[in-house]
Amino acid sequence: MKQRVLWPAAVAVALALAGCGSATGNEPSSNSASGKLVVWDWKSSDKTATAYVEKAKADFAKKHPGVTVEFVAQPFDQYYTLLGAAIQAGKGPDVMMFNGGGQIRDRVDALVPLDQYVGPDKERLAGWDAFTKDGKVYASPVTLQGHPIYYNKDLYKKAGLDPQQPATTWDGFTADCATITKATKASCFALGNKEGIGIQFFLSAFGSGILTPQEYDSWIAGKRDWNSPNVKKVFQLWKDVNDRGLNSKGGNSTTMFTDAFGIFQSAKATNIIGLMSDIGHWKDFNEFIGPDNLGVMKSPVITTGATPSLPFDGGIGYAVAKWTKDPVLAADLVRSLTSTDALATFYANAGAVVSDTTVKTTDGGAAVTAIVADLKTGKPALHVALSSKTIELMGRLSQQILEGSVSVDAALKQLGESDRS
Amino acid sequence: MSAERLAPFVLIAPAVLIIVLFRLWPLLLGVNFSFTGDGDRNGAAVGLDNYAELFADPLFRGALRNVGWLVLLLPVAVAIPGMLATFIYLRVPGHRLYRSVYFFPAVLSPVIVGSIFNLLLSFDGPLNSLLDVVGIGPVDWLGDSKVALFTVVGVHVWATFGMALVVFLSGFATLDPALLDAARSDGAALPQVIRHVIIPGLSRTIQFVFVTTMIGMLTSMFGLIYVMTSGGPGGSTYLPEYYIWIQQGQMNRPAFASAASTVLFLVMLVVGLAQVSFLRRTGKED
Repeated sequence: MKQRVLWPAAVAVALALAGCGSATGNEPSSNSASGKLVVWDWKSSDKTATAYVEKAKADFAKKHPGVTVEFVAQPFDQYYTLLGAAIQAGKGPDVMMFNGGGQIRDRVDALVPLDQYVGPDKERLAGWDAFTKDGKVYASPVTLQGHPIYYNKDLYKKAGLDPQQPATTWDGFTADCATITKATKASCFALGNKEGIGIQFFLSAFGSGILTPQEYDSWIAGKRDWNSPNVKKVFQLWKDVNDRGLNSKGGNSTTMFTDAFGIFQSAKATNIIGLMSDIGHWKDFNEFIGPDNLGVMKSPVITTGATPSLPFDGGIGYAVAKWTKDPVLAADLVRSLTSTDALATFYANAGAVVSDTTVKTTDGGAAVTAIVADLKTGKPALHVALSSKTIELMGRLSQQILEGSVSVDAALKQLGESDRS
Repeated sequence: MSAERLAPFVLIAPAVLIIVLFRLWPLLLGVNFSFTGDGDRNGAAVGLDNYAELFADPLFRGALRNVGWLVLLLPVAVAIPGMLATFIYLRVPGHRLYRSVYFFPAVLSPVIVGSIFNLLLSFDGPLNSLLDVVGIGPVDWLGDSKVALFTVVGVHVWATFGMALVVFLSGFATLDPALLDAARSDGAALPQVIRHVIIPGLSRTIQFVFVTTMIGMLTSMFGLIYVMTSGGPGGSTYLPEYYIWIQQGQMNRPAFASAASTVLFLVMLVVGLAQVSFLRRTGKED
């Protein structure tokens, strides 16, 4: 009798223990002690990034032959959720990719300041500001991200306008748009604001044409006056452009990625505020409307006294986790990931405008040449300076402004409160 | 204690351990976590601060209000498969075809369903072209905050009613055909048959479908929301799940997200208990 009871009991206990074991066996690995570095990103699985990763790995292997590097590509839409879990647990990858701006600034507690390791790269690379908080650098920039206004030269030609000389004033710009719409039915802008991203691009692309240089610089420095007439003008213009029918229809239900880009690529819109790297950039557009038909302009002058410039920041970069066993080793990997050779490959394959200012871009067509030429006078993008909370709120309010359910003044009041908190 | 007395406890130990270890304990950790801070106050006890902020946030209140809308729309979501199952049961022409066609969307993932309807319902999409032909102006199905939530719920009902339909059909299998024949020979019209024979005969099935549809609406709309509206426009299609995901994943505020999760858990608990007691009461009547 005793035997009959004890056996099932033993089996049950064994099962329970096995159950625990298998359910807890999936911890993220961090094996830097055994000569291994783990990198998390969302790029390395892209075909266009394969050669870049190989170049960087080779560069690192020359310096540290005994260390293996493992790239773990995460899906982008879950990246920061997964990273958040790793940060909460205090273990995870040694090196990880970040978007510049709010995403990295919100998480610097989990990162190693890189200033002492990446000093020699400071001159060669651009875009550090987006990865800097309180004077300390937390990641090395890989690409530059910005918001050029792309336009379709072919539509200009069809409407009898000179595609080499786009208007430099707002009135001239909208008059050209009207002419083009009349001749070709193409709307002035392709707008995608389903994710609330349209307003971010709009704010940054036209901000330098509306704010005075002083206002612009104070905005970036964190002194933002949401009640100022010029800030109000940005959001009023956002509404007016839509009310006047300059946008492609249904902006609130059109995704920026990638429906709005599609509208521009199929020549249904004359202009689009695009990106410089990754997607929706000169290389994508070149493929559809041809390198000869793709133009880039800076914001027209909307208020007198404004000096239009190209808005750009560090796009993506690699940072080192606080919990890594050997920060020097991990920082060396970051340096390999931003070496000139690797970045030149990334530019050639993915069309990213890379952070390395010595990479040659003359073979890419007129648009990328114009973008790179504008980098010298470019300034950080206005929306990148905002916290992710304010950005998210701005996205929602921008949709409500387009719908007419929230006034521009009410939106600015909420944004001001969010920005100050 | 003798081995015989001990044995039952040992035998239920694995199940209890698994529930306690992997269900209750993490739940308690999550609740406990919701009383701590984020960012600069990471790990520090902040009392009810997260909850105060949560209920002060119009976005979260909007998400809860949308849950209320879902509850109000529940009868529609139950009535549609109920009506269609009735027609199939009454053998309308082509009922065999309809039975499989209606079930088909239930096997598609929300992401695929969402993408299909994104195309169909886009501003310059086929549905609006059709409306244009019949002379009705275009509707921004997913870009108008007054319409978007109902659009998403409609798509959710379309995608999931096949399962409820099958449950209804199995309910019909238990219905006594003699009752229908008797009603017919007494000269009852279709509405009368439905009202006096079918609905009373299927009351248990209808309750079951109510409960499962409610759970489905409250727990599995995330995929559709994510793909179709991203919570927009203007936050009008936020549901608590989506809010939690945004706070944890995009805002990097896990403790605050825990507070929202705890509130969602309590809402689900109240809804679940109400349903259980409802079911128990109607069960006693039989």
